Parts: sequence; C-alpha cells; structure tokens
Amino acid sequence: MPSEYEALVSALQATGIPFAEYGWKTRPEGAYGVVSLDYEAGSCDGDGVKCDRSFSASVDLFYSLLSDRNAMVPEIESVLEEICGGSWELNSIQHETGTGLFHIEWTCQVTDEGS
Amino acid sequence: MAYVMKADGLEEVAAILNALEGSAQPVASMSLYEGAGAMAETVRGEVKNIRTAPFKYASGGETRLPSPEEKAMLEAADGMGIAKFDKNGSEVGTSVGYQNSGYVATPWGKARNNARTNYMFEGTFAKPIPVIANAINSGTSFMKKQPFFRRAVQRGTPKAEEAIVRTAEALMEAIISSNGEESVNER
Repeated sequence: MPSEYEALVSALQATGIPFAEYGWKTRPEGAYGVVSLDYEAGSCDGDGVKCDRSFSASVDLFYSLLSDRNAMVPEIESVLEEICGGSWELNSIQHETGTGLFHIEWTCQVTDEGS
Repeated sequence: MAYVMKADGLEEVAAILNALEGSAQPVASMSLYEGAGAMAETVRGEVKNIRTAPFKYASGGETRLPSPEEKAMLEAADGMGIAKFDKNGSEVGTSVGYQNSGYVATPWGKARNNARTNYMFEGTFAKPIPVIANAINSGTSFMKKQPFFRRAVQRGTPKAEEAIVRTAEALMEAIISSNGEESVNER
C-alpha cells in the first residue's frame, strides 16, 4: 500500500471527522467521510523525482449541515495539501435528494516515496 | 540597424501553413472526433468491468453494489458518446459522456414510490442515465464507488492523443499532396 495513502488516512482520521476506509458498516450520525484507494495510475515524475507507480485515491465527505461543511472542508483540504502537495483536486459536489445529504468528492494522486 | 535572419528548410513549414489556410478547423474537428471516439471506446470497456450484485435497498448505512440492470442501462445507453462539437473562433471542443443519454425506467422506482427520488418520464418511473452513471462513478451514501469513468479517462488519454495526432498528420499530408498536384498541374 502506498505510504502516502497510509499517511492520508491517518491524517484524515486525526482531524476528528469520522473517516472510514472504503465505507461504513453502520453510518455514523451527522457528517462523515470515506477515503479509498481507487486504482493504479501508472508512473509519474516531478520535482526531479520519478516514481514507478502512482495511485488515484479519493476522499468523500457527506454532510447535511452548512456548519459542518464550513468547518470540515478547510480541514480536509489542508490535509490533502499537506500529504499530496499539488496533486489533488475537487472532483464533484452532489446532492442526494433521497437522503438529503450533500456529497463532496476530492481526488488525489498518491505514491510510494520516489526513487 | 536591421538584422536579416535566414533559416533553411522553412519552405516546407510555409507550404504546410499555406496549405492549411481554411482547412485548419476541419482538420482539428476530424482529428478531435477520432480522439473522442477512442475515449468513448475506453469508457465502454470500463463499463464492462463494473462489479454488480442483485438489487437490494441499502439499509443501516451500508452501501450496495450496482445491480446488473443498472450496469446494463449504462452498456445500452444510446446517448453515450461524443457531444456536439463546440466551435468558438479557432477553438474546437467536445466532450465524451452520458449527458445526452436520457432516461431509463427503473424496476424499483415504482415500488418505492418516493416522489423526491423518482422522475416521471413518458408516464413511467424513470431515472436519468447520467445520474446512474454518476452514482456508480463517484459513489453515494448508499452505493459503493467504482470510478470507471475516471479510470477510463486516465487510461484512454494516451490512445485519444495518439488518434488525434495520427488523424491530423494523415489529413495534413493529404491536403499538402493534393495542393502540390494542383500547383504542378497549374505549371
């Protein structure tokens, strides 16, 4: 498992926002997050470093209250900035009419340490 | 004082630029169409890899996999493909996706009869295909994420770029050779 992904999971869980990998058995009350390693994205290079493999990961936040969003989004984005540097982006914002939840999805590239 | 710069071998470049005058946008459009077609094929291939499980309502915060019926809806979506070309000045753009795929009747829609989540289309309960595609690609609070579209874009980009370059080169060669024949005939 890529070391950056492990660091990302630990950092997200340390924020205090309920975060699970790949999904929840029982959804927590209130806002919650899911982090997952999605697929292998091939080699990459940058800053004079080449890595043989990189992976695409995603971070999802589900919330219904604006106050949750205002508190949690900056925290998650600062974790992404710290762990992934510039290789993350806001992928989508959706609203589920059935559950009333808002869903924000970020994607990022994570690697093992460069070689 | 003016300096005169002289470079050899630019006659060919000048010939290409002259030959492409007025043909640049058709060349760009046809090349882009080939590239978008390659990308659409990759997306269709990724849809085949979507994991499914028989449909059941997700309860207690669990997430479910898409049902085989939902996967079949994406496979059969007529509108999956290349959007109408957008020409803005010298730029030509398009997109590949499910945005024009329309609606499809869902077997579970009527049973649930939830006015907020069901759409009526031609007298039956239906869901927009882009919503189903998005739910599978990005996941929801009740469906497991399977980012087939993101993966297709990542894997299909080199193929699409190769198709664009190959088509553009072939078209430019054809234009230049036909212009050359015309100028020989004029002599």
